[in-house]
Amino acid sequence: MDKPVFQSLSLRKSPRISDSEFVQLRDFIYDMTGIFIKEVRRYLLESRLGRRLRELGVDSYADYYARLTHPLTREAELTCLFENITTNETSFFRDQKQLEMFRSYPLNESIKELKTRGRKELNIWSAGCSSGEEPYTIAMILYETLKMSIMGWRIRVTAGDLSPAMIRKAREGVYGGYSFKTTPDEMRNKYFKPTASGYRVHPKVQKLCEFDLINLNDRPAIKRIPPSHIIFCRNVIIYFDDDMKKRVIQSFYDNLIPGGYLILGHSENIHALGTKFKTVRKIGGIYYQKPE
Amino acid sequence: MINACVEHLEPGMRIAKDIIGPNGEAAFRKGQVIDEGVLETLRGLDLARVPVEGDKSAVSEEALLTRIESYVSDFFQYVDPDSEAFIELYRLVAERVWDAVGRGWDIPCRSERTARNVEHMRDLFFKGNASVEDLVRHETSLASFPGIYVRLKKVLDSPTSSAADVAKVVTADPGVSSKLLTLVNSPFFGLAGKVDSVSHAVSLVGLREVATIALGISTIDYFKDIPKELVDLCQFWRHSLSCAVFAKLIAKAVGVSSDRLFTAGLLHDCGRLIMYKNLPYASVQSLIHARGDSVPLVEAEREVLGFDHQEVASLLLEQWGFPDDLKVIISNHHNPERAADSKEAAIVQLADNMANAAAISSENMFVLPGMSDAAWSALGFPKEKFVELLGEHDRDIDDITKVFV
Repeated sequence: MDKPVFQSLSLRKSPRISDSEFVQLRDFIYDMTGIFIKEVRRYLLESRLGRRLRELGVDSYADYYARLTHPLTREAELTCLFENITTNETSFFRDQKQLEMFRSYPLNESIKELKTRGRKELNIWSAGCSSGEEPYTIAMILYETLKMSIMGWRIRVTAGDLSPAMIRKAREGVYGGYSFKTTPDEMRNKYFKPTASGYRVHPKVQKLCEFDLINLNDRPAIKRIPPSHIIFCRNVIIYFDDDMKKRVIQSFYDNLIPGGYLILGHSENIHALGTKFKTVRKIGGIYYQKPE
Repeated sequence: MINACVEHLEPGMRIAKDIIGPNGEAAFRKGQVIDEGVLETLRGLDLARVPVEGDKSAVSEEALLTRIESYVSDFFQYVDPDSEAFIELYRLVAERVWDAVGRGWDIPCRSERTARNVEHMRDLFFKGNASVEDLVRHETSLASFPGIYVRLKKVLDSPTSSAADVAKVVTADPGVSSKLLTLVNSPFFGLAGKVDSVSHAVSLVGLREVATIALGISTIDYFKDIPKELVDLCQFWRHSLSCAVFAKLIAKAVGVSSDRLFTAGLLHDCGRLIMYKNLPYASVQSLIHARGDSVPLVEAEREVLGFDHQEVASLLLEQWGFPDDLKVIISNHHNPERAADSKEAAIVQLADNMANAAAISSENMFVLPGMSDAAWSALGFPKEKFVELLGEHDRDIDDITKVFV
């Protein structure tokens, strides 16, 4: 095989984004999603959106912005934009030590408390649920914890994500091997049915979860989520700037019932944000509790 | 038959062997033609590879070049696509990958590049509880330094040290002296004739230079006990040595005294080792973020941990009483504009980018951290020299790595 001429290759595959176009798109994305595109990601944004520009046959980022804001094209284009700027690394039973901590404290305490009050109604919110691995994991843990007595409970795991494609995949509930890289075999065998096209999550697990498009920067949408006893938001806020982090943590605070719990990703911390949450450290990780 | 990675499958290809689904039955039979529907199911199954009919040599030159470009450009997403330096590096890397494929190397697909999960790791500190200061204080309180380090520091700190003092200290440590001799005898080092003793090296290279290199070598041992499953130390030091070799070669090319740059390159990532030791889980999260989302590792650290390995190195080297000039280079190699001598820090920055670029056609690849145009221009390095430097590096790096790790 002849060697091609490498000297003709170019690194620029997308139109150049001007300073003003970059600021315009960055601010737009921030307003829409709370995700802040830092200057270091400028070329990345160029190449991600450049692909879309080519598909659309649009020459400049300014024209692309016009499509993002035009009432006729806005909705479809936003969906596509969200896919281009978010990542979806997740798996079932990710961070098992933290999940054990969740089970021993926030979950157990909530169950005990609700039982004594005779109100067997538990709401959990999985914020930034990606393709559904986390909310389904929570539902499985509920089955493992409550066992047969789960029949007497009204449980709702509200699961939201920014990306319509992810919500679609989550609702479908069929997963390939990659989603099980952190999952004990026992759990997979118990709660999934192998099919030719992947593992299908058991309908009883699916029944507990409600998936919806939820944008964490959309306050009215968040207000509609029923008050939660526990909120999970793992590996989501790293994409936000401090302002947005504060706002999101505040809306979690507002959504939680007094005494409710917030669980973040293992290496995420809201220490520096100055919140009213009480920080509780246990083996396996940290959780935050809203004062009674 | 080709074992094609799912991301490279195209409609019209034909499946060459039955593909068994999770339920033990054939999801697809041999001979099935791939269409969009089949493709979607195959993607959903997360199979690493799919057997399809045809053979490797049947892949057209054009298709291969497209695949190579798509693979290599992933690593260049954080660099300025108009930078003459990075365009040149990009072309050279694409050519290296082409050659590697010609030798039978398989281009890894995206899923194969993501780091493994290390679920059992736990951090010594909770984030937010631990400042960079705590991290380093904890580290240095445990430290027992190799004796040679302390003695070398004495030699370096004293203005009256003689060549014989350096030779005596280094020779007393057979591990360090044999590594040092391998190094100065490597062709890239540029000495004529065989150097057979430390004192000979001192007479050719200089007292301070030899002491500085030996100081760098002696610190490697200090980091031996990092869990293997967390980070492959062999790959870590290979990257460090690559960076060291490039730093020396670049320094020579732009007329900067080069031996100190070798040591700076060797230890440029030492802050990372402290992070791996004390924050293993969080470090793995940043590795997963870097590999899985194609982010430069330094950027992933800032996002996941809130600080990066430069800050850790800065405090660590301060506590160790490391020579100031080296400390400044190492603590600013991603931000040379902050360093007192920005040219020296920029040399390590370029060397780090080159070391990452050189590894794209092997197994230890990370996204290039990039470099500002200002830092590149100030360096005055002729881009035509990239080829030559890559050649020199490739010729020596295996031999050097073998001696060090």
